[in-house]
Amino acid sequence: MATLTRSEIIGPAEAHPARIRSPAGIGGVLPASLLVLVALVGPLALMFRYSFNRFVPGELMVEGLTLANYVKFLQDAFYRDVLLTTLWVAGLSTLICLVLGFPVAYALVRQVSPRWKSRLLILVILPLLMGNAVRTAAWMVILGDKGLLATLVAATGLAPPKLMYTPTAVVIGLVSVTLPFMIVTLQSVLEGIDRTLEDAAESLGAGHLTVLRRVVLPLALPGLLAGTLLCFILSMNAYATPVLIGGPQFHMMAPEVYQQVAKAMNWPFGAALAFVLMAVTLVLTTAANVLVQRRYRRWSE
Amino acid sequence: MSSTAIRRTYGAVSALVLAFILLPLVVIVWVSFFANRILAFPASGYTLDWYARALATDSFRDGFVTSVETALFATAASLLIGIPASLGLVRGRFPGRDAIQTLLLAPMVVPGIVGGAALFIAYIEVEARLDLQIAGTLGGLLVAHTLIALPWTIRLVTASLASADRAIEEAAASLGASPLTVLRRVTLPAIRPGIVAAALFSFVISFIDLEKSIFLVGPGRTTLQIALVNYLEWSLDGTVAAVAAVQILIVGAALLISDRYARLSQVF
Repeated sequence: MATLTRSEIIGPAEAHPARIRSPAGIGGVLPASLLVLVALVGPLALMFRYSFNRFVPGELMVEGLTLANYVKFLQDAFYRDVLLTTLWVAGLSTLICLVLGFPVAYALVRQVSPRWKSRLLILVILPLLMGNAVRTAAWMVILGDKGLLATLVAATGLAPPKLMYTPTAVVIGLVSVTLPFMIVTLQSVLEGIDRTLEDAAESLGAGHLTVLRRVVLPLALPGLLAGTLLCFILSMNAYATPVLIGGPQFHMMAPEVYQQVAKAMNWPFGAALAFVLMAVTLVLTTAANVLVQRRYRRWSE
Repeated sequence: MSSTAIRRTYGAVSALVLAFILLPLVVIVWVSFFANRILAFPASGYTLDWYARALATDSFRDGFVTSVETALFATAASLLIGIPASLGLVRGRFPGRDAIQTLLLAPMVVPGIVGGAALFIAYIEVEARLDLQIAGTLGGLLVAHTLIALPWTIRLVTASLASADRAIEEAAASLGASPLTVLRRVTLPAIRPGIVAAALFSFVISFIDLEKSIFLVGPGRTTLQIALVNYLEWSLDGTVAAVAAVQILIVGAALLISDRYARLSQVF
């Protein structure tokens, strides 16, 4: 594929000799950059440094340069389990989102009139912005022991399932948090795929599943990847859902970070947990990126 | 499969999935009207009592006020620094522009709990050095919420700038308008829809934030989301449902208005 030069992408204004000077050049980005540096990058760097300090109960933290906090994480079966739980819960939720999200996105793009599409999209985005506290409260009402689901099941004469405070409930809660993200991401990618390609494949006798497998999925791969990674990252870092509908016996990484940093005041270990969480997420998402990009390049050649 | 069967399958699956996503929303609004003293199904009758109870609950009332104040400030501050930043990113030409764009969108990428923990630690360190209270104060919360709102503002405003017609700015400039006049009379009016959408979106994103705020609230200064979570740890009743219903109403209204100004599906 030929690469476009910058001016081809940006257009003729780039090459215009009498380009007007904008009053907001580098000066415009300064205040915002300063805020991000001071309130995000600096604190992250500080926390990273602290993850190598020692924690002495009673006097908070002692300056040091030790890997003890990371070693503790690796050696402690409890925290290894927390990470494994986080990984499988996030992985499963993401997979479910992918399977449920694709048909909705495809239907939105190919089978719905533009007017209805924008209405339905608002219905998808609204739950996304209802807030984790409210959404979790709602799932507690639905899945609780005297909740909507238990009442409905009991009415049929069956024994109501015990869902509250189980990993299943957490997965259900997480899927409802991240599914809208998946649908919106896939929708915007499918929007860019030329419909005539599908029509051509169909007119040549390909069944719908073949069209999906051979035409749509390869073209939508970058979007599928973006949606999948987004859902995975959000699930890995979930806080309200595991705390409130997972219950006290269910542990995931983000609540443990909060517990260590804000409650136990063990900053070095809390910091180490935070960076293990970020590093694991980063490694997995980068690996997925590289694998899929390679695949995509082969398909597109 | 025939093409009608395919259409029906997609329609059915989509309807089920949409119902699943919307279920929590519908259920929580529904139970906020239940007359049952202890939350259970079916409803023994319907009442508006929970709304009165929610209004009379100090933590919810104060939390709501704090959240609105915080969100209004975060919106104003993120517009104030986000609009110039967007102009710089789209119109300016300077080395390292891509890196700065990545930096400015980073608050969206770094997980809320991790960013919140880091900010909490930094606040306490600064406090120890300057003998100043930050964690648990409104100031500390406002900085964090401006940070949360900033990338969304930049996304919406840069998208709006990128689609604004550059030629009109050039025409104004060639007719003798100063850069500041061009900005005030041409550029800003052209991106007004993007700015409105950015303002509403920043407000909502700040209002519903839980993960970052949880580290930064203090006694007597709690946002609505934290008040909800604290309440939920002990009890689940119609009061929470009433607060939730009000929140859904506010967010829904903001969403409907901003949808008139920007294509929201492209924001995420």
